[in-house]
Amino acid sequence: MNIPARPPRNWMLLAGVTGLLVAMTVWSAYGIGFSLTEILCNIAGGTRLITESWPPDFGFLPRLAEPMLETVFIAIIGTVVGGILAIPVAVLAARNITPNRLTWFADRNFMNILRTLPDLFWAMLFATAVGFGPVAGALALTVFTVAVISKLWSESLESIDMGLPETIRAVGGTWFQMIQFGAIPQALQHYVSYALYAFELNIRASVVLGLVSAGGIGMILETQRANFEYERVTMIILAVLVAVLIIEEISESIRKRLT
Amino acid sequence: MSNVPSHADLLKRPGNRIGFGTITTFVIAGLFFVSLYAIGFTPERMLEVPSGVARVLSFFWPADMAYGWDRVLPAIVESIQIAWIGTIIAAILSLPLALFGARTLFPRLARGVKLISATARAFPEILLAIYFVPIVGLGAFAGALAIGISSVGMLTKLGAEVVDSLDFGTVEAVEAAGGSRIQALRWAVLPAVLPEIIAHWLFRFELNIRASAVLGVVGAGGVGGVLLNTLRYRHFDKAAAVLILTILVVLAIDTISGEIRRKIIRG
Repeated sequence: MNIPARPPRNWMLLAGVTGLLVAMTVWSAYGIGFSLTEILCNIAGGTRLITESWPPDFGFLPRLAEPMLETVFIAIIGTVVGGILAIPVAVLAARNITPNRLTWFADRNFMNILRTLPDLFWAMLFATAVGFGPVAGALALTVFTVAVISKLWSESLESIDMGLPETIRAVGGTWFQMIQFGAIPQALQHYVSYALYAFELNIRASVVLGLVSAGGIGMILETQRANFEYERVTMIILAVLVAVLIIEEISESIRKRLT
Repeated sequence: MSNVPSHADLLKRPGNRIGFGTITTFVIAGLFFVSLYAIGFTPERMLEVPSGVARVLSFFWPADMAYGWDRVLPAIVESIQIAWIGTIIAAILSLPLALFGARTLFPRLARGVKLISATARAFPEILLAIYFVPIVGLGAFAGALAIGISSVGMLTKLGAEVVDSLDFGTVEAVEAAGGSRIQALRWAVLPAVLPEIIAHWLFRFELNIRASAVLGVVGAGGVGGVLLNTLRYRHFDKAAAVLILTILVVLAIDTISGEIRRKIIRG
């Protein structure tokens, strides 16, 4: 029986890549102080923490309603404003419909820079600029939403069928009419599903905004954490978990109905 | 002549009725204004925003780059290390879970695995870090564990989807030739799915860089704590150094990692 020979392996490349990965891992483990002895030494403290944080303090639940609503409000504002602002950003960043290379280049870089900073960094910046509280959180999530939606949607816009937009231009439509009637309707479904996705992300993000004093349920979380009231921390986290799962379920069912 | 549409009629858009879209728009607008009112985002406050932002931005310049090289860069390196160890932990844990979570391979196990991964995904990593910090002590190690655990959920889900979309001809071939299920996994499934799974790992690494950057807020190491402190003590020139260096490093890593991902997927 003729068995074909195994294709030769590139041992040099394999060894190089493996070596690089191992070196990177060892260097990182050393850098962050990865040590099993530390885990073992702290295990007593860890078990104490776990016993302290259970059972959750259900008496605390009524006080969570208001900050929880605030979290949802922040997420709604961030999604609506960010969703609207993301439209021009995405259109100009789509290579096939952008008016010229310069706007495309500038907008693409703007989008990439927006995307590099994590949501909490924006929250810290806005908390410093406009003062602590939910307004800072809503502004931070606005920027974050623009970053998320414009990146995803510009890719959908790039994959639309160019026949209709070209026809509109050919019969004398302006660039705006081409975008409005030729490009956006084709990618509208994607826009709606990305907006819902951004809303889910925003709910998650607005939970932790309070850690940097930008409003929402995280503010309570931060004070209870600082006072080592871990029974209450557990209660807050459980409430957050349930709320996030419910909102994801709703948004998932809306998305299914739309597509 | 009356049934021939006039020019004005042609310009009218079809379907100007109150439909689903109109109602949705009004509901969203209503929710939006209720939210604005509830958090006290009045028009006066809106007018203050641009000047507030401009004022803080004006303090940012010139950035204190000496501080940047001395203090910020080591913190960013620590963030990268946290993200790397977190991704390695998640990759090791999620690979077997992804195989067991594939509906096509293990129909009964898959359901349980999906449940675990959905729960893991619902936790933002920073909440996990709140628990890990007292358990393993303040610092980067707690952050790496938090990132690792919270990445497992997403990587398991994506990995299981990759396996699910696999063509099962080769698996059947291995089994028909007398191979066991494990051998089929090793020789038929793994080689086919690994490139895409590795690409997902790299993508998660990019996300983890951003996640680890904020963990410093709860004392779990990395650059986030530095930014919080500089802003808290109003050292805006130092905060500017943090932002500039973070943007540059994250852009660089995104570009490199994206390039590698494209190479891997193309094969």
